[in-house]
Parts: sequence; structure tokens; C-alpha cells
Amino acid sequence: MRTVLLASLRTHLRRYVAAAVAVVVGVAFVVVVGVLTAGARAGLMDGFGAPYRGADHVVVADPGVRPPRGPSCCPDTLDVAAAIALVDRLGDDASGLGRVLLPMQVGDERGSTTVGPIAASEELRWQELTAGRFPAGDGEAVVHVWDATALDIAVGDRIRVGADATELAVVGLVNSPSTESQASVYVAWAQYLHWREHPLFHIGKIAVRGDVGPVPEGAVARTAEEHVTEGLAGLSNDTDAYALMGVLFAAVALVVAGLVVANTFAILFAQRMRDFALLRCVGATRRQVLGSVRREALAVGALASLIGVPVGGGLGYGLIALVNAVAPTTPMGVPGLPVPWLLAGFAVGTLVTAVASWLPTRGVVRVSPLAALRPESAVDARTATGRSRLALAASGLVVGTVLLGVAIARRDTMVMVAGGAAFFGGVLLLGPVVVPRMVRVAGALLGPAGRLATENAVRNPRRTATTTAALLIGVTLTTAVLTGLATYGAALDETTNRNHPVDVALGSTAAPLPADLLDQVRGTTGVERAIAVHGAVARVDGLAHPIPVVSAPDAAHVARDGGGFARVEPGTIRLDLGSFRDLGIEPGDRVAVRVGDRRVELRVISLSGWGNAGLVAPEDLARLVDTPEPRAVWVRTAPDADPLRLVDDLTGLAAGAGAGVEDQLQARAVQQRELDVLTWSVLGLLGVSVAIALVGIGNTLGLSVLERAREHAMLRALGLTRRQLRRMLAAEAALMAVVATLLGTTIGVAFAWVTHETLIKQALTRATLQIPWPSLGAVVLVAALAGVLASVVPARRAARVTPAAGLTHD
Amino acid sequence: MTSTARRATREALAVSARDLTKTYGRGDAQVHALRGIDLDLVRGRFTAIMGPSGSGKSTLMHCLAGLDQASGGTVTVAGTELGSLDDDALTVFRREHVGFVFQAFNLLPMLTALQNILLPLELGGRRVDEETRERAHALAETLGVADRLDHRPAELSGGQQQRVAIARALVTGPDLLFADEPTGNLDSATSAEVLEHLRRSARELGRTVVMVTHDRDAAAYADDVVTMRDGRIA
Repeated sequence: MRTVLLASLRTHLRRYVAAAVAVVVGVAFVVVVGVLTAGARAGLMDGFGAPYRGADHVVVADPGVRPPRGPSCCPDTLDVAAAIALVDRLGDDASGLGRVLLPMQVGDERGSTTVGPIAASEELRWQELTAGRFPAGDGEAVVHVWDATALDIAVGDRIRVGADATELAVVGLVNSPSTESQASVYVAWAQYLHWREHPLFHIGKIAVRGDVGPVPEGAVARTAEEHVTEGLAGLSNDTDAYALMGVLFAAVALVVAGLVVANTFAILFAQRMRDFALLRCVGATRRQVLGSVRREALAVGALASLIGVPVGGGLGYGLIALVNAVAPTTPMGVPGLPVPWLLAGFAVGTLVTAVASWLPTRGVVRVSPLAALRPESAVDARTATGRSRLALAASGLVVGTVLLGVAIARRDTMVMVAGGAAFFGGVLLLGPVVVPRMVRVAGALLGPAGRLATENAVRNPRRTATTTAALLIGVTLTTAVLTGLATYGAALDETTNRNHPVDVALGSTAAPLPADLLDQVRGTTGVERAIAVHGAVARVDGLAHPIPVVSAPDAAHVARDGGGFARVEPGTIRLDLGSFRDLGIEPGDRVAVRVGDRRVELRVISLSGWGNAGLVAPEDLARLVDTPEPRAVWVRTAPDADPLRLVDDLTGLAAGAGAGVEDQLQARAVQQRELDVLTWSVLGLLGVSVAIALVGIGNTLGLSVLERAREHAMLRALGLTRRQLRRMLAAEAALMAVVATLLGTTIGVAFAWVTHETLIKQALTRATLQIPWPSLGAVVLVAALAGVLASVVPARRAARVTPAAGLTHD
Repeated sequence: MTSTARRATREALAVSARDLTKTYGRGDAQVHALRGIDLDLVRGRFTAIMGPSGSGKSTLMHCLAGLDQASGGTVTVAGTELGSLDDDALTVFRREHVGFVFQAFNLLPMLTALQNILLPLELGGRRVDEETRERAHALAETLGVADRLDHRPAELSGGQQQRVAIARALVTGPDLLFADEPTGNLDSATSAEVLEHLRRSARELGRTVVMVTHDRDAAAYADDVVTMRDGRIA
């Protein structure tokens, strides 16, 4: 049988190409996840361990000591006085690690920066010098290269840091790995202590060379190795969580690849039934035939997996290089070969192929030797849909539906996953019954021209069902994710709109705003609408400084929540308490509000989102002031506004008018970007599965075309042009793709609804299901086009057949 | 060639081939399937092309029917020189002027008999109206398969399948009907029926019928017999 096996492999290897591609992609996916995980871990390790590289011990706050001794900003850090005493005692053998956020001025630019200490001894310095030298004493600093680039700072420049604008000479630039101790500016220890009274000043850890000696109360000393290992375990848990997510997506891709493989073998074996019968005729036992085809499948799987491993490795290392080049702020280490992942990828790929070919190979033994002697009949892969299959499918659907119902009622995630799996399994089993019917319905829309394509697409129900199932999985998940994230995003938006109803507020407590400011603001690019808000500057009990007290009856014009936040009941004042420091009032308090010698008593209601003005009802304002003056301008931005530029422009306008600006735009933009990144990452990961499924459509079509060569030749003889033939096959592929996509979209939306009811509603009570119609439409369209694209190669090959080929009989 | 053909006017010729050659491969592996064929087929006659395996009879038929391009020489069918047509034009020409009957029945398995018969019209984008439907029914009646029209090929006997194939070949009203070993897979009684139908297509419907066969009994139904040997007309 070995001769037969080798000859079969040689002869049929080309027909396995698509199945092999599916396996290669799946295996490569697994390996890429492995390499990236290892890279991320190596990156973390490089960074996390860096500050302790030259140290023997690390002194940290004892987590068991209650109350914690750290400063109020960061209670779990070391007691500042004790830590300073320890560093003083140990001198060059100690390196204090900490950070403080301070205002900074570079030239005319004002901003803020993080400042951290640099060790006295060279062995304990973990920052790498890239230019200049390390600071020798007070008045000198080194700046992180990223910040230096961003702020245009060079060696020799001077920066001003802190409330007192301490002048520091920049003597060097450093690179430092990202750790919890990373800062933008590093100074000598003594200089760092200069800001010890700042509320955010803290010392987190002290790295010590040699023995620590007596440890201060409330702190513990550990060996550096112990400290690093323990810290890494925590960080690894995070990377492991990402790895697990990656593996889940890889698993989906492998399942899809398995379906493609199973279909390939089913089709190829059906075409080779006569060969198998012939083998049986000349004396091969069932076992021999079966063994031969199973080894053939195993060989294909092993070969494809063998290719997938280096492909995945190359991609993974390439991606690490790309990430390091594009985003230097999230450095990834270049890991050693993650051998377990490579082996796992190879094993999983081979296993998936073997398992996927199991059922099709079983059919091979059923062939009787007599089949070889009968006149050649057309390959007929039509099999009746078994009752047991139908029963199983029905029970899957019923059990799944019930479980999903229970999941919604009990808000139980595990039950939901189980129910979803059962339901989807039922749908897949029902495929051979449902999919051909759907294809017929969809095909009817194509009119008589699409009749042949439709008939071709449904002639092998099981083949069509398996082909569409592969795509169905990817599309269902994609749709569920799109809908889920749209729902989540909308809920988040709604919450944001409620909490931050005004995009940008310009306000002043000094002089009233000049009359032309409103027009200037309205004329600014990116401003959709703006209103002037009138009021007076008032003193409010419990607030250190006077604030504008305003009434905004026309807030609905600009507010994202419809103006609800500004409809104030008489007798109350609404304050955005988050905007004030040194608060002496709480929600529910009754406070006196005074303008000059007029005074009203109002109850405080806390809301947020419009800055440091107090909102009152118009009648209360009238009791405080006769002619309210413009005190604020509220802006609603256009959807396509560039947040940074707009805020910049408005800040310029406000500064000219002696006013300040408070904006929610950047926070909003960040939130939107995070959601976008999440959406695109998930889509990208699912895209791999969808791509494999499309390879599967091309594959099924390609293999079907092989067995229909005579038919196509005959159709050509009867007057079908090449173009018509190609179009017919494209229509067949598109029909399969569209049906899979429509079914997948429906199920995906349903799953998203269940997830919404079970999970999202729990987290965000006001969330309503959002169906992103344009995105879903795009999915259907892309799938249909991709289906047509998948038909290009098989259709070209099919069209090459000469009409005469239909007449020759061999 | 028969004297009838030589005397015939150009209009009376359904097919005319001049110095037709066809070679496959090149160099040492070159095979001369046709070595300069001159042939005229008169309209309305039933011609059988005979010869042993490898004599080039199928190749000749493919070239005459526009299924294959000749290497040299000309083929004129119904006044059209086939060598001047590109693939699309040739396809449309076949669709409008030529009907085929194959040895292996060659019906599409997923279509019913009636759908198979109407297929050439559908491929041409013609609307299947009441008139064409009636014509198909009439043809099916003539060929004795009228009661089998809603069945799929798998449910038909070999003879029935071949008669459906003849109906399909005739439904467009072609000038020429080519049949390649139409009785190759049939028993003798069924063969006789099919051959009789082909003869009636020529006599009663006025079609020019060309049949390739290696069976002497089948050739006996034809008006004229052309015998091929080694790529030449013997």
C-alpha cells in the first residue's frame, strides 16, 4: 500500500492546496500568538527587572501593616521620612524609587511632567544614557528621550519644574524601560527630595546593594530576585490573559480550517471512489484502503503544519519588530523561540487535519469492490439527511434556546455560553436541510440566469452546508461582536452625554465675557453651535473662591443630554463638585449664595459636566442680580472636529478674553479611540477565520469544478460563452457566501441581543441594543464580493475547458 | 464525394470544408489527426462519418461543429466561415445553428427533462414563452418522452435520456445536428429507435444531420456515408 499512498499523494497533492492553506493559516495563528506572548513577557521582564539589576535587596512597604504608612496620595508606599533616613544611612548602596507629578515650563510652553530620582552609584542606575551625562548634583536633570523629542528639548536647554519653577539644566538624555518607576525627568536624590512636601511625592521602593541592616518599621526587605519574580508573576497573569484571548480566536480559526479540511477530503474521496473500489477489486482489504487514506490525510496535515510553524514564527517576530518600530512606548522584547508554542501549533494542526478527515475516510470503506466494474456513474455525493441528525439538531436548538432563556433570567454567563454553543451546534447540524432552501430563495432573486448556479449550489446539500458553515462561524462572531460593541459604545456614549453634557465651556470669574467672544467662538472651525450663558459671580458657602452662578434656559441648544442638566428646580443650585478643590460642601447641603448684598439660600445638587459654574433657576438668578452678564460660552462641537486643534483655538480665544476653558473632548476622543481599537482588533482576529472560510468556498468550488468538467464542456458546446460560465460559477460562490452571511448576521444579532440582556444590561442599565446596520450591510456586501473573488481561480480553470472535451469519452 | 454534392449550388451546402488539417502537439510528439480534408455536406441529408478508432472522425466532427479550431484550411457552416470567429462568436454561432447529441447522454443531473430541453434557449437568454414551450412539448411528443418531462435524468432509462438529448438538440431549430456515437451506450432495440428519430429529423424536419459512429448497422440509417482512415477520407 505504500506505493499507492505515495502515488496518491503525488497525484492529488495539488488538490489539497486549499485545505493545506487553511491549516497553515490556523497553525501560523497559534504560533504568532505564542511568539507575541513571549515577546510581551520578555518586554515586561526587561522593564520590570531593570531598577533592581544591580541590587541585592529591595525594601518595600509591608502590605500587612495597617494603617498603611505612605503619604495620602499613595498609602501603600514607604513612609517618606523613614525611607529618606534609610537612603541617607546606606548612601551609595541605596537607590530610592519614586515619582512626583510637577508642573513644568519649557520655553513658553507650560505643562506637567513626572520627576523621579536617579541612583547615586552607577551600578544601581537603571536608566541608559543616550546623550550627555548623568546629573552630578542639584540644578541638573536628564530627560527621557521620548519627552525630549515631544517637547523639543536638547542637552544644554533649561527647564523649570515645580510650583516654584526650580530651574534645571538638562545635562543628558536617557532611555528607560517602562516600569512603575518610569519618569520623564530624572534628577539626583537630593534634588528629588526638594519636592518632598508635594502631595504626590512618594518613595515606592528602595533598591539596596549589600545588606540592608535594620529595616524601618512598617517596611520589609526582600531579596531582589524574590521581588522581581513575584512582580513578574502578576504581570504574567495579564499577558497570559491576552494569550488566552488570542488562543480562543486561534481556536475558532482552527475549527473553521477543520471544516474546510473535512470538506476537501469528503469531496476528493467521493471523486476517487472508483479508485478505491478498484483497489478492493485487486485484493486490498478494507483496513488497507482505510489505512492508506488516513495516512494520506495525516501526511497532508503534518506537511501543512510544518509549513505553518515557520510562517507563524516569521510573522510573529516581524510583528514584534513592527510594534517596536511603530510604538516605542510599548516595548516588546525579542524572545527566544517559544518552543512549546511551536510544538503545540504543529501538533494542533496535525490533529485538526486528522480529526477533520476521520468522517470522510470512514465513507471510503463503505465502497464495494463491484463499484469499479459498473459503468462510470456521475459522482453523486447526495446523502439523505439522517433522522438521528435531525433529532440531534432539533434537540440542540431546543436545549440551546432554553439555556439562553435561563441565562437571561439568571444573568448567568456560563449558561449563556453553553446555550449559545448548543444552539449554534443545532444550526450547523441542520445546515444540509436549511442552507439549500435558503440558497434557492436567494437564487430565485437572480432570475432564470441564476438558475443553473442555484441548482449547482444545492446539488450536494452536505457539501454546501459544510462550506457555508465555515463562513457562518466567522460571520456570526463578527456580527455579534459588531453589535455588542455598538451597543456597549452607545451605552457608554449615553452615559458620557449625561455626565458631560457640554463639550467645551469657556468661563470667567473676573470680568464678564466680551460681547464679541460668542461670535468668535461660533466662527471657529469645528464648532457646531455655541450659546452665551448669563449670570453673575457669587460667593457660595463652603467654596473658597467666588464662582459664576448662571442660568441657562436655552442649554438644550448645545447640550448632549438635551439640556436636562440645566433645567434647575427653583430653590436649588447644581454644582459640578468634581471641578472644585478643597470642597466644604456636600450634596444636599443648604448653602447661602451671595452676589453683593443680595442673598438666597439654595439646596446643593451634585451633577457633573459643565465646569466650575453653579446652575440655578432663572427666578433664583433674578433674585440675585437684575441684569445678568455673559459669564460663560458653551460649545457643541461638530462630529468631525479635531479635538486638539479646536481646544487649542478656543483656548486662544478665551485667553484673549481673560477666560478659561474646560473641555471633555479629549477624554471623549480617548474613549472613542479605545473602543475603535478594541473593535478593529477583534475584527482583525476574526478576519483570519473569515479568510480561511473564503479559501474554503474557493476550494469547494474548485473541487466541484473538477468533477463537473464534462458538464461544463457540454454547456459550452450547447452555447454557453466563457464569460457566462465564469459568471455562473461566481454566482454559485456568491450565493453560498451571501446565504452564510445572512444566516450568520441573523444569529449574530440574536446572540448579541442575548449577551446584551445577560451581560451588558447588568453593567450599564440604560444600554439599549444597537444594531449597526451600515456595518452589517458592509459585512454582507464584503462577504458576497469575497465569495465572487474566491470563485475567480476555479472559474478561470473551468472556463479553460474546450467544448470538445464534453464529447470525448474516455 | 457524391455527384449530388458536386452539382449542388453553394446555397444547398450546409457544411463545406476545404483542405482541413488538425495537428496536436509538436516535434516528435506531433500527431496529425486530420491531413487535408475536403468535404461538402448537402442540406437536409443524414450523413454518417465512419472509421476505426483514431481515424480522426471525432476530430473532423469537432472541427465541423465549431467545437475545436482547425490547424489549417477552412470550414464554412451555413455560409459562415468558422475560422473567422472568436470564442464568443463561435459559442453564439453554435447556440444558434448547431445542435448536439452525445454518447454519454450528457443531461444536467439536477434539471428535469423539460428544463434540459429548454436549456439552449435559456443559455441564449431567450424568454421561454408559450410558443417555445409548445414546440418543446411537440418535440417530446414526437420523440416519445412527453410523459417523462418532469423527471430528472436519473429517473430515465438510457434510451429516454438520449431522446431527451435529441429534443434538446432540435429545440433551437438548428441548421445542423451533430451526433457523436449516439447509440454507443444503448441496446440494439433502443438504438434503432434513436437512429430512426435522427433519420426523421433529416427527412421530415429538413435538418442536416451528421453522425459519427463506428457501428455499420447505425451507419445504414444514413443517406450518405463518409469513411475515414488515418486522418483522410478513404
